[in-house]
This record gives sequence, C-alpha cells and structure tokens, in this order.
Amino acid sequence: MARQRNCEGTTRRDCLQFGIGALLGTGLVDSLRVLGDSKNTGGPKATAKRCILIWMDGGPSHFETFDPKPDAPTEFRGEFSPINTAVPGTLFSEHMVKLAASLDDFAMIRSIRHNQGNHGAGNHYMMTGSPPRIPVGCGAFVSFHPSMGSVVAKELGNNNALPPYFSMPQMSRSGGPNFLGARYAPFVVADDPNKQSFKVRDVALPKDLATTRFDQRTDLRSKIDKMVRLNDEAAADPVAAFDQYFEQGYNLVTSPEAQAAFNINQESDATRDRYGRDSFGQRCLLARRLVEGGVPFVTVYDGGWDHHQNIFPTLRKRLPEWDNSVAALIQDLKERGLLDSTLVVALGEFGRTPKISTLSGQKTPGRDHWANAMSVLMAGGGTPGGTVVGATDRKGFSAVDRVLSPENFVSTIYHKLGIDPGKVLYTPQGRPAHLVSDATPIRELV
Amino acid sequence: MAITSSLVMDQGVSVAQGTEPPPVQKPVHSQQPVDFENDLQPVLTRFGCTSGPCHGKARGQGGFQLSLLGFDANFDYEAITKEGRGRRVFAAAPERSLLLMKPVAEVAHGGGKRFEKGSPEYHLILNWIKQGMGRKVPDAPSLQKITVTPAATILRNNETLQLTATAHYNNGTTRDVTRLAAFQSNESPIANVDEYGLVSAGTITGDAAIMVRFSDQMAVCEVTIPRPEPVPPAMYAALPRSNFIDEHVWAKLERLHILPSDLCSDETFLRRATTDICGRIPLPQEVAEFLDSKSPGKRSELVDRLLLEPDFADHWANKWMDLLRPNPYRVGIKSVMNYDHWIRERFHQRMPWNQFVKELVAARGSTFRNGAVTLFRDRRTPDEVGTLVSQLFVGVRLECAKCHHHPFEKWSQDDFYGFAAYFAKIGRKGTGVSPPISGSEEFFFAGSSGSVQHPVTGATMQPKPLFGTAEVTADTSDPRDVLAEWLTSPDNQLFVQVMANRVWADMMNRGLVEPVDDFRATNPASNQPLLDALGNHFRDSGFSLTELVRIIANSHAYQLSSLTNEHNAVDTRNYSRHYRSRLRAEVLLDAFEDISGIPQSYGAMPAGTSAKQIWTHRTTSLFLDTFGRPDPNQDPPCERVPDSTVVQSLHLMNSEKIHSDLLNKNSHAAKLAESNQTSTDIAKELYRRVYARNPRQDELILVAELLDAKDANRKQVIEDLMWAMLNTPEFVFQD
Repeated sequence: MARQRNCEGTTRRDCLQFGIGALLGTGLVDSLRVLGDSKNTGGPKATAKRCILIWMDGGPSHFETFDPKPDAPTEFRGEFSPINTAVPGTLFSEHMVKLAASLDDFAMIRSIRHNQGNHGAGNHYMMTGSPPRIPVGCGAFVSFHPSMGSVVAKELGNNNALPPYFSMPQMSRSGGPNFLGARYAPFVVADDPNKQSFKVRDVALPKDLATTRFDQRTDLRSKIDKMVRLNDEAAADPVAAFDQYFEQGYNLVTSPEAQAAFNINQESDATRDRYGRDSFGQRCLLARRLVEGGVPFVTVYDGGWDHHQNIFPTLRKRLPEWDNSVAALIQDLKERGLLDSTLVVALGEFGRTPKISTLSGQKTPGRDHWANAMSVLMAGGGTPGGTVVGATDRKGFSAVDRVLSPENFVSTIYHKLGIDPGKVLYTPQGRPAHLVSDATPIRELV
Repeated sequence: MAITSSLVMDQGVSVAQGTEPPPVQKPVHSQQPVDFENDLQPVLTRFGCTSGPCHGKARGQGGFQLSLLGFDANFDYEAITKEGRGRRVFAAAPERSLLLMKPVAEVAHGGGKRFEKGSPEYHLILNWIKQGMGRKVPDAPSLQKITVTPAATILRNNETLQLTATAHYNNGTTRDVTRLAAFQSNESPIANVDEYGLVSAGTITGDAAIMVRFSDQMAVCEVTIPRPEPVPPAMYAALPRSNFIDEHVWAKLERLHILPSDLCSDETFLRRATTDICGRIPLPQEVAEFLDSKSPGKRSELVDRLLLEPDFADHWANKWMDLLRPNPYRVGIKSVMNYDHWIRERFHQRMPWNQFVKELVAARGSTFRNGAVTLFRDRRTPDEVGTLVSQLFVGVRLECAKCHHHPFEKWSQDDFYGFAAYFAKIGRKGTGVSPPISGSEEFFFAGSSGSVQHPVTGATMQPKPLFGTAEVTADTSDPRDVLAEWLTSPDNQLFVQVMANRVWADMMNRGLVEPVDDFRATNPASNQPLLDALGNHFRDSGFSLTELVRIIANSHAYQLSSLTNEHNAVDTRNYSRHYRSRLRAEVLLDAFEDISGIPQSYGAMPAGTSAKQIWTHRTTSLFLDTFGRPDPNQDPPCERVPDSTVVQSLHLMNSEKIHSDLLNKNSHAAKLAESNQTSTDIAKELYRRVYARNPRQDELILVAELLDAKDANRKQVIEDLMWAMLNTPEFVFQD
C-alpha cells in the first residue's frame, strides 16, 4: 500500500505496537486501586458487542459522498449528480451506489459539527470525544485523551488469545491509549492482506522456522529458564507479568482460532472478490474475521481523503471501490447474523469546504478542511436502519437541523457498547477526566 | 539569595491512643455572622460541589459553575449571588433558594442529596442568606495555615485513628475544621481514610501519607504500619554500612520491623552495575575476569571503571534526551540534532549539573550553532518553558496552576505566571516553527520587550521564584540569568534533591519520591532523611553525576539481592531488597547486538552506532518501538513505559530480524559452531554472553547433551540455545 499523506505531508509509520492488557506488572497497591476503580461500572445495557471503525483520514467531502447539494450553484455542487436511496427523499452522491441501495440497513448522521479545522485536532476530537486542550497544528500529533479503541480495550477486555484492540495498517494519530497506558494501545497489523505474502508481524513463526523446531525451542526454553520467581503476590514481581505475556504470546502463536482469524486465505475467492481486491477491501474483510474471532474493537485506517486538489477525478476512481467494500462488509455481517451485535462506523475528522477552489500552486480544484459539516455512517449494533439524523443547509455550509457534537457521537458508540460515557476516569496523577464531557448519546440511534 | 523550601512539614510522632468518634460541629446560630470565605465556601468544597466532576469543572454543571475546589472566592460569590437570574439565593424566602433546595434534593439535583435538611451545613447556608449574603464579614480573620493532629503516627494492622484538622487564622484564633476538611490517602490499601478523617490501617506493612485539605491549605499526616513482630535492635546494629545511604535505609527498615535481603552474588552485581551505569551487558571476557578476581574491593573497582566508559555518558545522556528532546517534525531536524549533540557532549565532559542547567536555561544564540536554544524553539511561550523548567529541575508541577489553584499544593496562578515571567523577554529572530519541516535557523537573545499577564486579573507579572528570592533589577540584561542562579544555588534543596531522586530511581527502580518529578508536601518521600543526605552529597561533590552514581552503586543497599526473605516480600518502596526491572529498549537492543554479533544499522547513523546514541526517536526501529521509547506525538512526549507487553514477547519469539540475525553466517552462533571449542567452553561462552554468569553444573550437562548428541547440528543447537535464553526473563530483566 502506498503511504497516504495529508496536506502537511506527514505520515505516521512507526506507531507503538503494544497489546493485551492485564492487571499485571504493577504493584499490589496499584492492582488493588484498579480493582477498586472498576467496582461500580453499572453502564448502559449493551446493544453492540464489538465495533469496526472505518477511519477516512484527511476528512472526506460530504458533498461527494452522503450529502449532495443538487440545488446549490455549480461552484458548490461539484461535478457529481445525486442518486436516490432506499429511503425516499434521501439522496446520496452518484458513486455511493450500493450503499444508497441498502440505506435500510444503516443510518446517516449529517449534522455533526465542531470547531477543529486541523487534521491533528479534528482527529483527536472525533477519535476521543474530547476537544484538544491546546491548539494542535496540522503537523502535530498530540494526544490528551484515550481513544475509543483503547477505552473499549480497557472496559471490554479480550475474550481469548486475541488482543482487544486492533488497528490496520497503522494507528491513527489520536488512536492511542494516552493516560490509560501502553497495555491499551492497539495491536497494529501493518502488512497488506491483499498481498499474497500477507502475515501478521511476529504472530506467525519466522518463514524458515519449522514448527517442530519451534516446539523444540520452547521446550528448551523451559529447561533453561531458572530465574527464581517471587511467589508472594505482594512482592509485585514484574517477572510474573512477563510469564503471563510469554504464555499469551505463545497461545496466540499456537492457537488455531487466533491464527485462523489472521488467515484471510481461508475466505473463498467469491468473498474476497466481494469485498474488493484492494488493501482497503481486504482490511474490511480481515476486520470482520477479527470481530468474529472475539475482538471488540477494530480500526480500519483508510488514508488519503484530504482532497485539496484534483478532487473529482480522484473520487471518481476511488468512491466506487470504497462504496463496494463498505456495503459488502455491512451485508456480509448481516448475512452472518452479526450485524445486530456489531457496530460499523465510517467517518473522517471533518467535512470539506462548500465552495470548490483551486489553491495557489495547484492546477486542479479541490475542497479544503471544513468542520462545520460532515457525514457519519453508522450501521448495526441496534442502530435503526434507514435513519437519517439532522441536516445541513442548502449549500452544505453547516449543520443546521439537530446539530450534534463529537461528544454526542462518541457517547453513542460507548452507550451502544454498554460503557457509561459519563464515567469519570482518573489519570495516573489522580486527575479526574470525564470519559466524555457531554455524555448524551444520539437518541435516534440508540 | 535566601532560599527556604517550605516543603518540610512538621514532624513529631505520636502513637494512636484508640479511636474517637468524628466531632460534630455545632449548628451556627443566626446571631453568629457567617463569612463567605471562612464558613460557606468550605461547605461547598466539603460536599463536592466545587469538585472537578461537578460544578468545579470548566463548563460548570447545569449552567452553574464554581471555581475548582473553591480557590476563587470572588468568582464563586458572583456565581452564587448574581448569576442564574437570582434563583440561586432568594433573600425574600431563603428556604426557597436553589443553593439550599438542590443539595438537600428538595428539587431535582443531578448530584443527588449532598446533605440533610436541618444539618449544620444547611443552617449555615440559610443563616448566610438571612444575614444578607455578604461577601465578607467585617474583620473576619483570614486563614493562615492548617495543621493535622497527629502529624505522624505508627499504627498496628487494622487499627483506626481519628485525625483532627485545625485551621489557624491571622488573628491568632484556631478552629476545628475536621468536619469540613477533605482527606485523601496516597496508599489506601496500607492506610485508608474516610471522609470524616478516620484512618484505618490495612493488613499490609508500609507507610502512607494522608493529605488533609481545607480551603487553599494542606497538611499531611504520615502513617507508618510496621510488621507486627518486632525485630531486636541489635540485628539492625549488626547490618553492614558501606556509606551514609545504608544508615538511612536501615533506619527506615527498623521503623517498619523489616530486615533487608542478603547481599547479591558477584554475577548479579556485575550485570546490575553494568546495565545501570553503562546501559550495556557485560562481555564474556569481563564476566570471567570479574568472577575470577580475588580483589576484596572488586565491586567498587568495577564501578570506578564503568564510570570512565563513554557508554556511561551515552546511557545517561539518553535518559535526559527523553526529557528534553522535542519532535523534529515540529522544530526541525537540524535543531534537534544540534540539541542532542549539545546534551551528549556535556555528559561526555562529565559537566557539573549546575553548569549544565545554567547553560540550558539561559541559552542564547542560533539553533544552528548552540543546540541548547532548541528548548526555546520548541517551547515558545513563557508558560510552556516555565512548566518544563519547574518540573524538570525543581520537581514542581505547575501545569495545574496555569488554569486554577493547584488542588494538592499551595501553588496559585500568581506563582505560575510569576515564574513564567522570567521567560517573558526572550528575543527571537529568524524563522519560527512551521511543521512538518521547520528547517530554518532561529536566533534567541535577551530581548527588551515582552511580558506575562495574569489571565484573571490582567496584571503584568513581575518575575518571582517559587520560593526564596531572585530579583530582576533594572540592570538585569536577561531575567533568565537570575533564574538560572536561583535554580542552581547551593541553597536550593529541591534542585539537588530532584536530580538525586531521579538517579536513585534509575538505579533502585523506585524513586524516594514517586513520580520522580512531583515534589510536594502532600507527596512525601518514602525516606526524607536519605533524600536530604543524597542531595547534600550531590551538591558537596560539585553537582557531580559520576559521584552520585558511585555513592549509590557502592552502598550495601544497592547491592542487595532481589530475593525476598520472610520479612520483606511486602516491601515495594523502602529498599529492603533490590526491585527487579525490565531493561530499557536501547539497552536490550544493544544487548541483542552483542549477543548475536550482527551489527544493527540505524537510518542516518554511521556504522557501529549503538541504540543509545540515536539522536531522535523518529529513527525507525521496530525493536525500540516494541520495547517502548517516548512517542514524540504524545503528551507528555517524554513518557517511557517500563511494562512488559505481549507484543514484546511476540517480538522476541518471532521477529524476522532477530531470527535472521541469529542465523546469520557471520553471527556469534555460527562462529562458535565452526570453532573446535568443547561443549563446556561453548556453554560458558553462551551463559557469560547472555546472562553474564558461568553455567552451573546441570546447565553444562544440558548443553553438552545437546551439542554432543550423535547427529547434532552444532549451529542449530547454538541458535536454539540463544533463542531460548533471549526469551527468558533472566535476559530481559535486571535482577
């Protein structure tokens, strides 16, 4: 996959890759504190058990996707035409063919707006539900609050050998755990499942290592490992945590179920074709395999939506594939009976400017950052299909009807997963932080 | 220049005499004037109204906003008496005031019922409204300080003790404010405290600090819970003492009735000291020589030798890089490289710490010529520099005080902006930051304009140190010079103690103060006399890092075994045994390079570079990412995670790079396999190389059985042994 760049030209290649959480590795006192913290977690009743987040990094245009403005003048309307959807009166843009036909199965929110027009800040706000505390510029990647994925990893945990939070092929800027700690960072699958050689780093044995030799090695290791363990739990021996993690890692490597979740080759050609034979399509398919395997939160990071120039030719090529992959994911989950308990969400950090412009130094027109309006897709997990929440004005400048905030959006996700969005978290320094400061979910969707 | 750190609390130990019931304050009669600040605000804070999750948060709650923890009386007075269209207080019908109906839940209240109708608090608020809701009672005294009784105590397991909080006013009067004070324990499993100030010792041996807060004043009660069985004093008298450190550690252990573990073995000491001091593992040759040496002083000789190595400088510079070095995407590659060079060079020179800090804090010049000014290129406003400097060099965390009074300390916004004002006049020329390139040169000099305003009052702040005096006069050319003198003054206890605590934490794997840069009266050191002595020793040695490391490494306490005895499993903060720790990412990667024999290569670095010489965390390394290095994108960017994770286990187990290095035809494994060494020699080489010790008899036999088997593939056997050893905790951890 080509590394996707935003307008500031930065990429985020080398994100931290951490995994499974457990109450280990900290002192007894800390463990007790954590246990104490988790006592009163009477959250809302869960309607979803897992979530796939499709992150359209860069900020997709709402005009060319889910919120066309056919009545606006040409310089706003753009080159694409509207099409009808399964919901009479609701229009999508012309390349959203399959999603338009299946709007019965999902909901659209057209009225989220915020005030963060930079990538770093917008990403933080939508990924965490918390506005950045200090100005975050275009190139800055600063995180102040745990991401939805990390919070879900902490609250729902892992059900088996698989880590609870995956991000593919990278972590988004603010997709990390922040003060929750490294154990809740996403497990990053960087490699491309569309490639023949695809495998998850470090989870499979090295290429030329026979399984029998691996077995001999682990057997040898147990004979060589002589370090005395401090058995008294009060001693808080960090080696105990190491033992747990070695065992978890070993289980992941040797667990047929876990390996099966990663083995996209087990899918039929028909299924693989259905999702689209490109990196994004195959990542959507892998995400489905992971949630089927028990992973509660998977982020599919989809870069390159920052269309300051050449917007129409680019989207003309890209949108049909994207439409196909996302529609296939929703339909496949539905056919497997998983959609009722699996939330699928697609969005970026903001929408794009209503008026088409050509930036200085550019030859072709595009749209720029615009946080006053954006479109968010939400399917499954008890989301009533065919619902369209809110609206923007006639030219797509701003959300005007049923105006909602990123806080409402993030609260909706937590609420559906059975996590109380109003709960108070404590940083390691003891500072209280609301999970979401306005914990009101979007009532039409819960 | 006079500096008195006011962080030292009154000491004085009393033993619990049993328990008393929490005192109940008598209802205030209407004749008695109720003062807004002295009487009413404490009620709002005591019952949680002004707390962060409720009306104290920045947006308030339900449209009603109070200052966080009631630190701003004027603000709260306005909010109560003038906002909310006058519904909050009704002079005509005081009982119908929302300020009364909400907390007793007579009308719907998101925060629920906070106190009872008819309670003393209820009457207090009622009387205040009836008396006309004055901002201040004429001649009302002002609060000077609070004390808690006892200030220190020793409790038995499961014993309880009632604390008493007393407010002292400027007219000499005192008042029992136990019922209105807030109590918090820093180690609740050891000693818990309830909202009335009743302390309950748990079943664990150790100590805890109980913080008491009333209005903007704090006090601390130190609670010690010793092991139930006393230990004869003679046993402590008989413990070895290498230097003053041992004296202080043993004294604390004696209070807790804990005996320390035994001295660690020579092999453990060798690996511990080499990884701590130089950030590398010992070479096989060093292992053989050290273990064979009969010199009685061989441990301190080793320490002396290690302190002379270039690795010592790179290892300790690497730690400070974490704390100082910004994101090159933000400030530019060249600035960061120069900054790295500037820091590293000073560690190689063994520059005294006071000089290092002076040169940094008052740095002037070009980012292309003086790397130190990169600090000011990154931190561009006085408040940003001020928080970094106060946290790093005197352990005072001022961030809270940027927006509101520090909730656990005396620091106010006056302190914050007064301190920041030292950085108000920094002059800049050239090109500022323009992420993500920021490649240009920028100059920093002593400017003539610039000021810092108080965000609430708008007043221009005069530079003011956090304690003591450091006056900026008309002929001061750069206020930072004055600040640098104040910071590094021999009288500044915090300056030396913060550094001593950091180095102690690095070597002992637990700071005397934790977090290491959070020095507050309400976060006491686990052994203050030791911290005092370490700080003084550091200062008296000419602020020498080398000497600080030496004195710690030579102490008996540093050389204790990590294995527990029947007393000390429960001890995790008083150094009765060595606390194990996972080796840090760079140390592990350099160790792997030493073991495999295959040089690692890093982008934009010459061949032969070690991981701890990398000048930016942007340098690609899956290994370093996996084992945790600071992420320049996170806030704070200096955080390093010492935890183990499953991803680390998986990386050691399956990484293609580790695997191919082990199997490389030029690896140590290949060379050993090709040599005609005996299985015994090979076993010795492997165990010395990976574990820094000689193999024991059963281990010699195990290796011999594998290598001398009839159809043994020597190379594969050695590779498998190395793989197995790398995946054991004995490699990953320092014991």
